[in-house]
Amino acid sequence: MGYSKVEEKNIGYKGRLMLFLSMPVLFLLCGIGYGVVNQSINTTIKGLADIILSPTILITDFLEVGGLAATLINVALVGFVNIYIIHRYRLRINGLLIAAFFTVIGFSFFGKNIFNILPIYFGGYLYTKYQGISFKDIIVVIMFGTALAPIISEISFSGIFQPIIGVVVAIFIGSFIGFVIVPLSSHMLLFHDGYNLYNIGFTSGIIGTILTSVLRSFGVMVEPVFIVSKQSYQIIIIMIVILIVGLFLIGIYINNSGIIEFKKIHRYKGRLVTDFTHLVGYGVTYINMAVLGTITLVYIFLVGGTLNGPVLAGIFTVIGFGAFGKHLKNILPVTVGVIITAVILGYDLSSTTIIISVLFSTTLAPIAGTYGPIVGLIAGAMHMIVVTNVGVIHGGVNLYNNGFSGGLVAGVLVPIVDAFKKE
Amino acid sequence: MQHEIKKITSIVNELVTLLLQNGAEDIDVNIKKIGKKTDISIIQHCCDFSESFIDKMRYNLNTQRQCEVEGYYWQLVGEDEDCDELHLVGAMIDEVEVEMINGDLKIHIIRKK
Repeated sequence: MGYSKVEEKNIGYKGRLMLFLSMPVLFLLCGIGYGVVNQSINTTIKGLADIILSPTILITDFLEVGGLAATLINVALVGFVNIYIIHRYRLRINGLLIAAFFTVIGFSFFGKNIFNILPIYFGGYLYTKYQGISFKDIIVVIMFGTALAPIISEISFSGIFQPIIGVVVAIFIGSFIGFVIVPLSSHMLLFHDGYNLYNIGFTSGIIGTILTSVLRSFGVMVEPVFIVSKQSYQIIIIMIVILIVGLFLIGIYINNSGIIEFKKIHRYKGRLVTDFTHLVGYGVTYINMAVLGTITLVYIFLVGGTLNGPVLAGIFTVIGFGAFGKHLKNILPVTVGVIITAVILGYDLSSTTIIISVLFSTTLAPIAGTYGPIVGLIAGAMHMIVVTNVGVIHGGVNLYNNGFSGGLVAGVLVPIVDAFKKE
Repeated sequence: MQHEIKKITSIVNELVTLLLQNGAEDIDVNIKKIGKKTDISIIQHCCDFSESFIDKMRYNLNTQRQCEVEGYYWQLVGEDEDCDELHLVGAMIDEVEVEMINGDLKIHIIRKK
């Protein structure tokens, strides 16, 4: 087992936090700039109101609902709230936090807004008070737990209740979700044994299924929708490229031999918990994130996909988990499995549904990392089949639908593969 | 912290599993609870691990306590075949010493409640 400690520049806590901060600042400036140049302030404010007041059920693309400027401002606002909390509680910036932050940013393009995430944070805060533990200990879980934010918007604004009553009921349910998501998500890990990186997606799928069943039993229909932008904005492509190049350059700055040491990352299986910032250092981790970002962007262009909200969420999540378990060697078999299955089943590879299935299938990267490319390929194929069928179960209230599917696939596939192993 | 006893047994389980899977045949485990502190000593007699294996174990156990990681992922602790996932244990402990003395590998861990 070769091993050497990581030698790299230490940019300090503030430096790492500034890296986080640069993203929402960039989004805010671009959002305001685009709004000022291309439309009136009123249009931007109306767009933001439309985003906040929409049910946001899966899949509601904010670029389609509120327009580009309002969406970027929403992403920035969600980013600022999370950075404030990270700074306030001095959270350690490790692979887990990087993955959580990028995921929240990505899903602010579709599903999460400044209104629907806050009750979940509040519920988490109540849980820590009840248990007598620090809020700091559960913030990351709560950040991921905002996967169920659409249920708050759905109850508030879909006409189930009178508007004010709806908001009160939604805040109560959102707080309840925040309260139970920590113990539930920890317990759900046992089902897939850490082979599904989006564990909260699996947990939220289970909670969402129960909550949706309750609503349906009272005659309230909760069904997935499909509101997506068919337009790729050049300004977003430029921002993504800036982000990827920035990560790469910072990676090289932190670790001069980052490119040479990059290959080391591929020896890790990626099973939870694989924190690359600790195992290979921040430099190589940022380079890995940049490489994964580049690959996803190139793939989307190759198949002729649109860079809309859901696809952007996929890109950000893949980049973020480049710090927490994903690398080229363990994501490729799974994604190839999804692509081959999609082609066999006659799906259009350029459609948003298939692109996000490909990107989010990387939740199963630890299976390929542990059991090899053939099992990884099978995992991808199973994921493609399952993910297209599970959304209806929870009615689209769980934003991490692929995490739900990934948990089911990993929980079934891993014991089967183990059954064929010999001592 | 909830599930304190289970967490302590998970830590011991992870380390003993790692040692046994890497060929250990003679292991002593000692657990002392002193107030809010738990002191775990694991000794593998006649150990022939390479220096690099021990360095990696020492590095990954010295992750520093991370309650946010512990609170979420502690139930995954328990089955590591090499040292790669040992940093999860590292996130659950406050102090650790790993040293070779006269052919015996000694791991001394302190976890505060």
